[in-house]
Amino acid sequence: MGLNLEYIHVSKFYQGVPVLRDCSFTFPLGSSYAVMGPNGSGKSTLFRIGALLEEPDRGEVRFSVGGQLLPQDLHLRRRVTMVFPRVGLFNRSVYQNVAYGLEIRGVGGREQAAQVERVLELVGLAAKKQQHALTLSSGEAMRLGLARALVIEPEVLFLDEPTTSLDPANAGIIEDCLLRLRRERQMTLLLVTHDPAQAWRLGDALLRMENGRLVAADLILPQECLT
Amino acid sequence: MRKPLLILMVAVVVLTASSVAAEVRIRCASTTSTQNSGLFESLLPIFEKKTGIKVDVVAVGTGAAIEIGKRGDADVVMVHAKELELQALKEGWFVHRHDLMYNDFVIIGPKDDPLKIRGLTSAVAAFKKIAEKGGKFMSRGDKSGTNIMELAMWKQAGVDPKGREWYLEVGQGMEKTQRIANEKRAYTLTDRGTWLATKDKDKLDMAVVLEGDPVLFNQYGVMAVNPEKYKQVKYREAMQFINWLISPEGQEAIAAFQDKNGNRLFVPNAT
Amino acid sequence: MDTVVSGFASAFRMISAGNPELLKILFLSLKVSGLALVLATLLGVPAAAAVALRRLPWRSLFLGLMHTGMGLPPVVVGLFLYLLLSRSGPLGFLELLYTPSAMILAQFILTVPIVVSLAHAAMVGVDPVVRLAALTLGATPLQEAATIIHEARYGIMAGVTAAFGRVMAEVGAVLMVGGNIAHYTRVMTTTIALETDKGNFDLAIALGVILLGISLAINLGLRGLQRLGRVESGVILWD
Repeated sequence: MGLNLEYIHVSKFYQGVPVLRDCSFTFPLGSSYAVMGPNGSGKSTLFRIGALLEEPDRGEVRFSVGGQLLPQDLHLRRRVTMVFPRVGLFNRSVYQNVAYGLEIRGVGGREQAAQVERVLELVGLAAKKQQHALTLSSGEAMRLGLARALVIEPEVLFLDEPTTSLDPANAGIIEDCLLRLRRERQMTLLLVTHDPAQAWRLGDALLRMENGRLVAADLILPQECLT
Repeated sequence: MRKPLLILMVAVVVLTASSVAAEVRIRCASTTSTQNSGLFESLLPIFEKKTGIKVDVVAVGTGAAIEIGKRGDADVVMVHAKELELQALKEGWFVHRHDLMYNDFVIIGPKDDPLKIRGLTSAVAAFKKIAEKGGKFMSRGDKSGTNIMELAMWKQAGVDPKGREWYLEVGQGMEKTQRIANEKRAYTLTDRGTWLATKDKDKLDMAVVLEGDPVLFNQYGVMAVNPEKYKQVKYREAMQFINWLISPEGQEAIAAFQDKNGNRLFVPNAT
Repeated sequence: MDTVVSGFASAFRMISAGNPELLKILFLSLKVSGLALVLATLLGVPAAAAVALRRLPWRSLFLGLMHTGMGLPPVVVGLFLYLLLSRSGPLGFLELLYTPSAMILAQFILTVPIVVSLAHAAMVGVDPVVRLAALTLGATPLQEAATIIHEARYGIMAGVTAAFGRVMAEVGAVLMVGGNIAHYTRVMTTTIALETDKGNFDLAIALGVILLGISLAINLGLRGLQRLGRVESGVILWD
C-alpha cells in the first residue's frame, strides 16, 4: 500500500510576503519528481511543508494510504524525511550521524551497526566511519546527509539541491545511489535540481516553479509508467 | 546517556540528604571576640562528649547576637553586655539569664604613652584626660560589648566624643581595631583576652596603660531564647547547655581554659 | 612584608602536610558549590532548552530576568535568603538557616541565571539546519531538545564552569546564610575573611592559594575539553 502525498491549494506567507501561491499537486507513491525553478521560487518551502516541518498558511497537505487519510503525527513524520542543501550534520562522528535516526527509534546494538554499515557502503563512506562529520568535504557531507536519511527507510524522500555544489564524482555517487534505490524500493522521491540532464536521469516527471506557483508539470517518461 | 544521569541524580539526593543529617545541634549566638579567644574550641568538645549535643556558634557583634536571638535564629545567646541582656530579658525575648564569667577591659595605647595615662587608677579619669588632651582614640563603633563599655565610660567622664576629630569609629572587630590603633598611634579600649592573644602575633607597638579598675570588668552572660516566642527553639537542649556552663564542671572548664600563650582569659563567676 | 612571605611559607607547609582543618574546609567548599551547580545545571539546562526551542510567550521576560540575574550581588542574595529562612521569617519552619543546605540554596540562586543564560546562548547558536535535520529524522520534542543540548555542549560546559568559578569565589551569600560556623558552615572564602581579620595570614594565604589553584585547574580542564572538541571538528576557530 503506497503512501500518497497531496498538496491542496497550499499557500505560505513569510511576514506578509507570499512564498507559495495556491499549489496543488498529487504525488503517488513510487514516482520520482524533479522540481526546477529559479532561486527563491519557493521550492524549499514547498519541500519543508511536504516534509511536515512547516505548516501551510492556507490549504493543506494530505498523506493517505489506500484512500485513507493519515493523521499528521510523529508516526507519519517518521515515514517522511528530507536532506537540506546545507545538510546540517551533527557534531559527532560519521557513524553517529547515520545511527541517529535508528537511535531515536530505539534500534541499537548489532542491528544498528549492520544497518549503518549497509548505508555507508551505499554512499561510499564506510571507510570514514569514525571520522568526525564536520571534517568531511562538502561532497562527502552531502553523501553522509543522504546516508543519514536513507537508513530510516523513508517512504517519501525530499532532496533539496543534493548535487548543486558537488563535483561530478560526488554527484555521480549520489545519483547512482538514488537509481539503485529506485530499483530496490518503493519510495517517492522529490528532488530539487538546476540540471535538466539530472532531472531526466533521475525523474519520472518534472515540475517547474516560478514565484511560488507550480507553473508546469511535464512528464519526462510516458504516462503509463506512473502508478 | 541515561545511566550516568541517573547515578548523578542519586548522588545529588544522597549528598543533599547528608547535609540535612539528623543529629542534635543547637545554635549559640555569641561575639567575635569570644570566639576568637578560642574558648569555644576548648569548651564545646567537652559538652558534646558529655551530652552528644553539638553547639554551632555564630559569631557576630554583641548587638547582632542579641538580634539573632530575638529573631529566634539561635537557641542560646552568650554575650557580654549585661544592660542589653537584661533589657532583652525584660522584654520577654529571653529566659533564664545567668552571669557566666568575666574578663576585664584594659586601655591600651602607644608604648611611649604620649598622653601620660599610665599611673592613673581610675578609668573614668583616663577617659577624661584623653578627651582633654585631644589624643587619638579608636572606637569599635559597632555596638559590641566593648563598644558599649567604652560609651558608658565617656558618659561617666561627662564627655561626648562623637564627631570630635581625635575620635575615630572603626566599625570593625577588636583585633582590627587594635591594629588600626597601632597604625595611627591611638588609644583604645580592648578586652584583655584579645590583647593577650594578639599583641605579639600582630606585632603591636602598644602597651596596657590602664587596668584593674573594677568598673572595667567585662561580665559575660548566657541566656536561652524564650520558647514561647518561637516554638522551634531547641529549648531543652539549650537549657542543658546553660546548666552545664554554670555547673561546677562547666565553670572549672572555663577557668582551665588557656590561650596559645598560656594565659587564662576568663574568670568564671556564675552564682 | 615578611608577614606575607612567612605567610606563604607556612601556607605551603600546610598544603603539603595535608592539614586536616584545611581539608575539611576545602571539602565543604567543593560540596556546597558543587551541589549548587549540579542542581542549577539539572534545572537550568532543560529550562534553557525549552525557551530556545519553543515560542513561549514569557520568553523575553524570562531571559531578561536571567541576564540580570547573572550580575546579582551575592551579599544581597544572602540577605534576602536570610530574611526568608530566619525563624521569624516565612520559611523559618524549614530550619534551614545557618546550615550548609542554606548555602547550597543561596549558591543555586546565584548559578542558575548564569547556566541558563549561557546554555541558552549556546543552543541558539546551533545551526538551525541541524535542528531541522533532527526533526526530519523523526525526533520527538524531548529527543530534539537532547540533540540540541548535545550539539551545544561546549558552550553549555563553558557556562557551567563560569558559574562554578563564580560561586567558589563568593563570600557574601554563604556568610549571610551560613553564619561561618566552625566545622560546619565554614568554607574557603569565609575562612579567608575570618582569618585575615584575625591576622592569621598563614591559613588565609594557604586557602587563597588553593582557591586560585582550583580555579586554574578547572579552567585548564575546560580548555582541554574544548580543545578536544575543536580538533575533532576541524573548525578553524583558534582559541
